[in-house]
Amino acid sequence: MSVSLRLGLLIASLSVLIFIITTVAHKRLNIRYSIVWILWALLSLLMAIFPEIFYGLSDLLGIQMPVNTVFLIMTALLYALTFYVYITMTKQTDQIVKLTYEIAYLKKQLEEMKKK
Amino acid sequence: MRSLIVIPAYNEEENIGKVIDRVKQYDIDYLVVNDCSTDSTGAILDEKGIQHLDLPINLGIAGVTRLGFNYAHDNDYDCVVCIDGDGQHLPEYVKDLMKEIENGCDYVVGSRFLSEKKPWSMRMLGSRLLCFLIFLKTRRKVTDPTSGMRALGRKVIDEFDKSMNFYAEPDALCHLLREGYNVKEIQVKMKERDGGVSYFANPFKSVYYMLCEILSIIFIQ
Repeated sequence: MSVSLRLGLLIASLSVLIFIITTVAHKRLNIRYSIVWILWALLSLLMAIFPEIFYGLSDLLGIQMPVNTVFLIMTALLYALTFYVYITMTKQTDQIVKLTYEIAYLKKQLEEMKKK
Repeated sequence: MRSLIVIPAYNEEENIGKVIDRVKQYDIDYLVVNDCSTDSTGAILDEKGIQHLDLPINLGIAGVTRLGFNYAHDNDYDCVVCIDGDGQHLPEYVKDLMKEIENGCDYVVGSRFLSEKKPWSMRMLGSRLLCFLIFLKTRRKVTDPTSGMRALGRKVIDEFDKSMNFYAEPDALCHLLREGYNVKEIQVKMKERDGGVSYFANPFKSVYYMLCEILSIIFIQ
């Protein structure tokens, strides 16, 4: 990895880390959800500081340019994270249906009680 | 045997009154599920004193029928018959469906094509494809997998009450056949809808629906 890429990665991951932490501090992001983002920022920080890890990893995987290893890992992480979001979405959809039912059912019972 | 007719309705101001008038002749409990309609459906339901649930948000057809099953489960019904709120399904056949449940079936589908011939329209091409896939998966011949007029026995109500994965009729049918439930089809007649707009008037929605059903039957159910 070139020096400018390392420098760019360093600045970007540091600012992302600061941004995430301020977002959590301002209560715009749940701490539980922020953990994965903080870990991610730390990982890219690690990449910027110790690119040797990726040189070794690239050799191991037979990838000529270490930067491609970085892309590969990032893409895989993005996939994993998106999938996790879909799982959460499914759970919440189900919860919304249940809540909707409860509200509608209670409303019906309330109407019936009013009539009596 | 306690039975409940579940009627999902979304923007059916033109049809819902007529449908309920016909349903009321048969002296069976019914429940209209108003899926947060934007027209006067809700007002008509209140005004005529029709038994109904008013949803605070729009859930879409899958969620709405599931709410009907939740209600049937909570109120301890033995049988649920689903008919559409658009007037396509004739309440005359509800008793026939119920009779089959009483005779020990778990799931009865009102089929348009059991003794009638299936026409060769685009929509029926889709229907044929679904029949074929269900046959591949279950080795059972069905004639009308997309029919929304169906009756559920107690076991199936319990299952549909809990699971979120029964969005539409074809894959639900496939699942029940694979699980070894006692499934039967009986011949019914259906009408064209009286008024209003169908969900499938939008070709993208039709394609999306078919894709979901095909993938669900092949990989999941």
